[in-house]
Amino acid sequence: MRPLTDQEMKTVLDKLANYMSDLKSLIAPLEDGDRYVFRLNHSRVYYVKLSIANIATCVSRDALLSLGTCLGKMTKTGKFRLHITALPIIASGARHKIWVKENGAQPFLYGSNVVKAHVGRWSEDCPEHQGCVVYSMADVPLGFGVTARSTTEARRLDPTGIVCFRQADCGEYLRDEDTLFAG
Amino acid sequence: MAPTRTIKNKHAAPKGGAGGGKGSTKSSGSGGISKSKGKAGSKASLPATQIKGRPNLPGLDKNKKKKQRVYTEKELGIPELNMVTPVGVTKPRGKKKGKVFVDDKESMTTILALVQAEKEGQIESKMMRARQMEEIREARRVEAEKKEAERKAKLEETKEALRRKRKRTKGTSDKEEEEENIKAVAATGTKAAKPKKKRVSFAPE
Repeated sequence: MRPLTDQEMKTVLDKLANYMSDLKSLIAPLEDGDRYVFRLNHSRVYYVKLSIANIATCVSRDALLSLGTCLGKMTKTGKFRLHITALPIIASGARHKIWVKENGAQPFLYGSNVVKAHVGRWSEDCPEHQGCVVYSMADVPLGFGVTARSTTEARRLDPTGIVCFRQADCGEYLRDEDTLFAG
Repeated sequence: MAPTRTIKNKHAAPKGGAGGGKGSTKSSGSGGISKSKGKAGSKASLPATQIKGRPNLPGLDKNKKKKQRVYTEKELGIPELNMVTPVGVTKPRGKKKGKVFVDDKESMTTILALVQAEKEGQIESKMMRARQMEEIREARRVEAEKKEAERKAKLEETKEALRRKRKRTKGTSDKEEEEENIKAVAATGTKAAKPKKKRVSFAPE
């Protein structure tokens, strides 16, 4: 387990900035004087309290399975891939949102894209190919994706047209159970 | 004492796996030795490069004694790839080995602010472009609608004109016919209209 390098940190924050509007809240000091830090272990990036990260140093790298919140994985080409486990953090400061109706929640959780017919409402002024968080109508975050069309264009779209390309959904907790945290 | 032990264990870890307490002490000793060796090696390697580099300079000195005393490597302007030691091999002295981590709050905040500003700029430009495109599309649509309306109006106009024309021609022919009929009736009576009918007859042989 080690802290991120300059380049790695930039890559991770760049990806997070696609979905979040306020990144400063990520590293803001907590009330008890503690703060959150980023740690890398087995090419996975964790978002964890500094005190817990310090305690975790007594566990050897091989034995350490996970700590804090797993944000995603660094690929071998140096890119960063967000996992569904990062959803609570992304959802807390989401830049753009899409709410899907009840009839659209299940298809999304089974891994399909969001079509216009399933959209209950969406945030205004959203450009295309921009990260957005998908919520149910009861404001429960279901996953995140990338917008296929801008809001104005999506209005003119037919009901079967794709509005948001899925990146991760909560169904992955079951579907990718084996590979989500290790391997 | 404790931290030094852990450091030694770190070195020993990859070598000895299942060793007990005695083994650990041995390995720690070996680790210490290896460390010193490593240092000695690095020290030895550095002068070696210098030695390799130096003979060239006196050599050059001999050749060009009259012109200049000593040429430094920079002065020579030799391409970096053409040197005795390749670029990547020589490591700067006194600098930390390995990766530089970002863990302090200040540097993290700096990177964060940089990334956020960059992203905001990107999104803003994206939005601006989308808005401009939307405006252009809207203007195009309005123009197309205008053209369509104009064309329709023109079509209607021509239709109306044709209708009027037909009515007018129809109206004038009726009056003339009526007048003629009245004249004929007045001259020969109603039966006189019959010979006026077109008849087909065979030509006489």
